[in-house]
Amino acid sequence: MTDLLAILNQSATSLSAQQALAATASHNIQNASTPGYSRQTAVLQTTLPADQVGGAWIGRGAQLQTVVQSRDRFLEAQIPAQLGLSAQSAATSAQLASVSALDPVASNGLGSALDGFYAAIRAMSQNPSDPGLRLAAVSSASTLARSFQSTRSSLEATRSGADAAVAADLQQANSLAAQVADLNGQIRTARGSGAPPNDLLDARQKAVDELAKLTGVSPVPTSDGDVSLFLPGGAALVSGVNASTLATRPDPANAGHLAVTLTGPNGQVQAFSGIGGAVGGALAARDGALKDAVDGLDTLAWDLGATVNAIHQAGFGLDGTTGDALFTVGAATAGAAGAIAVNAVLAADPRRLAAAGAATSPTSAAPGDVTALQALLATETTALSGGLSAQDGLARITSDFGVAARAASSLADHDAAMHDNLLTLRESASGVSIDEELIALQKAQRGYQAISRVIQTSSAMLDTLMSLKT
Amino acid sequence: MRVTDAMIYGNAVRDGGAAKSRLEAAIGPASTGVRVVHPGDDPAAAGLATQVASVFSRAGSIGSGAQAAADELGVADTAFNDVTNALARVTELATQFGSAGYTAAQRASAADEVATLKKQILSALNTTAEGRYVMGGTLDGQPPFDAAGNYLGDANVRQVEVAPGVWQAASVRADVAVKGVGGGIDILAMLDTLQTDLRANNQAGVAAALTPLSAATDQVATARASIGLSMNAFDTAVTSSRAVATDAQTRASHLLEADAIEANTRLAQAQLALQATLTATSQGFKLTLLNYLSS
Repeated sequence: MTDLLAILNQSATSLSAQQALAATASHNIQNASTPGYSRQTAVLQTTLPADQVGGAWIGRGAQLQTVVQSRDRFLEAQIPAQLGLSAQSAATSAQLASVSALDPVASNGLGSALDGFYAAIRAMSQNPSDPGLRLAAVSSASTLARSFQSTRSSLEATRSGADAAVAADLQQANSLAAQVADLNGQIRTARGSGAPPNDLLDARQKAVDELAKLTGVSPVPTSDGDVSLFLPGGAALVSGVNASTLATRPDPANAGHLAVTLTGPNGQVQAFSGIGGAVGGALAARDGALKDAVDGLDTLAWDLGATVNAIHQAGFGLDGTTGDALFTVGAATAGAAGAIAVNAVLAADPRRLAAAGAATSPTSAAPGDVTALQALLATETTALSGGLSAQDGLARITSDFGVAARAASSLADHDAAMHDNLLTLRESASGVSIDEELIALQKAQRGYQAISRVIQTSSAMLDTLMSLKT
Repeated sequence: MRVTDAMIYGNAVRDGGAAKSRLEAAIGPASTGVRVVHPGDDPAAAGLATQVASVFSRAGSIGSGAQAAADELGVADTAFNDVTNALARVTELATQFGSAGYTAAQRASAADEVATLKKQILSALNTTAEGRYVMGGTLDGQPPFDAAGNYLGDANVRQVEVAPGVWQAASVRADVAVKGVGGGIDILAMLDTLQTDLRANNQAGVAAALTPLSAATDQVATARASIGLSMNAFDTAVTSSRAVATDAQTRASHLLEADAIEANTRLAQAQLALQATLTATSQGFKLTLLNYLSS
């Protein structure tokens, strides 16, 4: 039976419900700028059962039912994948954009060194016995070799930079994977109380998003509320409360650059290649366009060195010497651009630079004979063993690298736009509007004031009742 | 769409950043005049620019070499001009002393002059350019003729590139032009014979020298014609190299450089867009319930 004391009790419960509304709005406002926070809504319900008074049912006020999050599962399922793709293409693009060794406007680039080499040979062909021109020709050959070395070194430095970025990102990824596994455990425990652990869910989602950016993991929710994470290659990074560990080791098959390994919870180490996100992007740049450019330079240096050497070895120096190679290029194509150098014998004695096609005596050749130089100059425009001339080969390397850099940049822009769009949609669904929360706060305040008035009125009625008895 | 405060601020950061990025991208071409800095800016242009730069460099070095060769041939032509002049004087002497009415002493005096003229011819033939003897073929490190008139050079002709892979003779064979190798007249030997006839007061022998002297003059003229042809080829090479270099420079400019009007228009657009973004953003920040509740 409803009496005045019951009204006071019900009002106290309803006041608590209004406080919950205000507290939730306050929590939302305080987290309006928290990344990954999903706004919460306190849900009130009518207190049941109603009191029966005579033939009628009189309600018992309101109480807090639960606090729910505003989340769009459809959007959230798409976001980690898009975050991974966006981070991957951005990392690839950033790595390629940082390379300046192949810039066409570089005044001291490989192209100008190649031009300078042939210009010096051509100048020497005008007066092959001139010591100054011979020295200039040897010097230009040295400049060409150093330019090959520095261009390759610059590209390799960028590849090593990618290694460093990968190692740092993997450390962060391991920390986040451990967090997700730990949060899975905390969420399991919290769910035992019956209510959804909203802030823990937010924290896990945020960690998953960050991990997706770094590694491209895909989250797979399980029936017991966990989120397992799988790398693009299919390997599990987090399974329930267990996290695997990502690490690196030097790969001898890739010039000592780092390969990624995955150590499972059981301690088993496996090498794998399926990783996305920023790590995958850095690896894609390192082993894609950057490696192609390095390989292209190696092939160019090897082919040019072999072609020039074959001609030079058949020619004769001013002192009648023959058989000297102009360049030393190492033992194999791989690394040739880094190893190429002018033959030390020629660098020390430019008279041995072979300009002539024949010797006039064991110790001399005709000083004006340019037969060998003519053949050398022909290599400027004729195809090397790769099918292109040296300059055309360099142009191909530059263009191919440019195409890859541009494609990566375009893809990064596209992925960033997709990523921004999804995040905007998620923010629209889950973000906090200060205006909305202020209104909710005002509403809770008004409710609180009205219920207080109910208590005041009930109290006055009780006072009236008490005065009748005295 | 439901709009949250984080969206408003996030959009402000993103849109403002994008507008600033576009402004930065527009400043580069407008301030430097360069459109393609990295290969990724325009891959095709970057590759072509490498090839065009090569064409420019090649044209420059070919032109430079051709100019030097032309200058060197000019030295050779001057030498042959001296030879021609000397032969003209010898012809005058042969004409004069091949006639009657001269004493043995007078003919001996003429023989002395012929000997002097031969020395002048040898001196002219041993002329140098840039420290090299231009008449010795590829053996250009030593005088091609000794004092006796023996040829010490070789039978080769120096070659200089006038276009990629195209080589032009940059010297004449003095053994042919002077020593008559291949069926011509040995001019120096003929001068010796003339001297001998003059000293022997052999009027008929001196008169007989006029025929080979005429042929020798023609022989030298042929060599000079050959030099003229080569010089013409080198002059053409210099001209065409300049044209190729200019063309390459123009192509490089088209490939790599920014159009000034377009670059400055883009810069103005980007500046305007950034101003509009900042204005709209600052206005958006003011529209919040907080401003009204607090007043």
